[in-house]
Amino acid sequence: MELRRGVLVLAVLSQLRAPQYGYSLRQALEERGMPIEEGTLYPLLRRLEGQGILDSEWRIEEGPPRRYYTLSRKGEELCKEFTRSWRSLIATMDHLLD
Amino acid sequence: MDTQTLIDSYTNEVARRLPRGLRNEVGLELRALLADELKAASQAAGRAPDPDMTMDVLTRMGRPEEVAARYGEPRGFNVIEPEHGPSFVKVALFAVVVHWALTLVLSPELTFTEWWLSWGLGAFWWVGVLVVWYGLAAWIQRRTPVDPHSFYRPWTHYIFWVPVLRDWQPSVPDLDRFVYQNAKSLIPLSAAMTLLFASLAFLAPSGVDGSWAAYDADFRLWLLPPILALMVARLALFTFAVIRESARPRTEPIRFGLWVALVGMLLWALVGWQIFAHDLTNLVFKAWLAVFLLVNCVQIWAWIRRTTTRVRVPSNLASSRRE
Repeated sequence: MELRRGVLVLAVLSQLRAPQYGYSLRQALEERGMPIEEGTLYPLLRRLEGQGILDSEWRIEEGPPRRYYTLSRKGEELCKEFTRSWRSLIATMDHLLD
Repeated sequence: MDTQTLIDSYTNEVARRLPRGLRNEVGLELRALLADELKAASQAAGRAPDPDMTMDVLTRMGRPEEVAARYGEPRGFNVIEPEHGPSFVKVALFAVVVHWALTLVLSPELTFTEWWLSWGLGAFWWVGVLVVWYGLAAWIQRRTPVDPHSFYRPWTHYIFWVPVLRDWQPSVPDLDRFVYQNAKSLIPLSAAMTLLFASLAFLAPSGVDGSWAAYDADFRLWLLPPILALMVARLALFTFAVIRESARPRTEPIRFGLWVALVGMLLWALVGWQIFAHDLTNLVFKAWLAVFLLVNCVQIWAWIRRTTTRVRVPSNLASSRRE
């Protein structure tokens, strides 16, 4: 449980290289095997935006207005850093578990 | 309640627990996200959205206080959890005010200074007791989260009244919707009431002593005409809004203004005027009027609360939403 919570932010950042709104992001994550409860994901997006990791804007495309999120410059750097850390961690853990 | 009212009610409950600057922005986004979730649930079920389906979506989202807390910054150590804050303030305020009221009434021999230095300041021990109580409740809740659907809960949760009892339910009935849905019976009823109030000023049953139902002369001359005018204006405006549905949003603030003015006039009549000439009639009518005004004041308070915490669509997004 804690392990999954730890990678949640990286999973979200990985899918926000292109703009997504809350529900479409949840769908994208679910399709890739990372279902996240709506009550967890949507507040997380706002918090990440508040920390300057995401940018957001309201858009009107096919239906009601929706808030689209994408990585900010700071978010892109953070995503690269997290990815490096994650790969290094996997290598270490593989080494430990083998 | 229909699906949109449920979503709006839930969104408003989340929004009112957020910092003021975040309310509208988060509320607006949450409403759009819930609409997306409901649409997906409807497509998966192969039927149109209904209130039960909406409640399932809202239950999955979580209770409003939990969702509002998640929208805040990640929490550190709190003696009183943010979601328990409003309840703590209400209970603490209630305890202190009751303590003050009782000790003021029961200690008439004390001067105000003596009272303030003893019972007055002493009332704040309640706040200390409640801080400890809520602190322990939060600690228990953090250590042993309980399934709200489970019948069996640890005894500590009962003793400390840890608020994890049930899923969210809409708490504020949509009065306006009720009023418009029952317009066919409410309009004749209001018209009959207005006519009755007016007729008492002019009619006296022939051959029967109607003096017990006569208005006081001063009241009839000065206060009755504006009260009747307000009643007629409200009724006319309501009837107009029922006939022309598109005019409702514009008439709502005027109807509210007339309502507040009418309640204010009736309140003035209650406390400052003899309404009926006959003392017993006056007493009985004023008792009824007091209850009527109490109910109306609560409704006005609920209306203001609902309106001030309502999530509003910014004008640049509003036109597209209506399409």
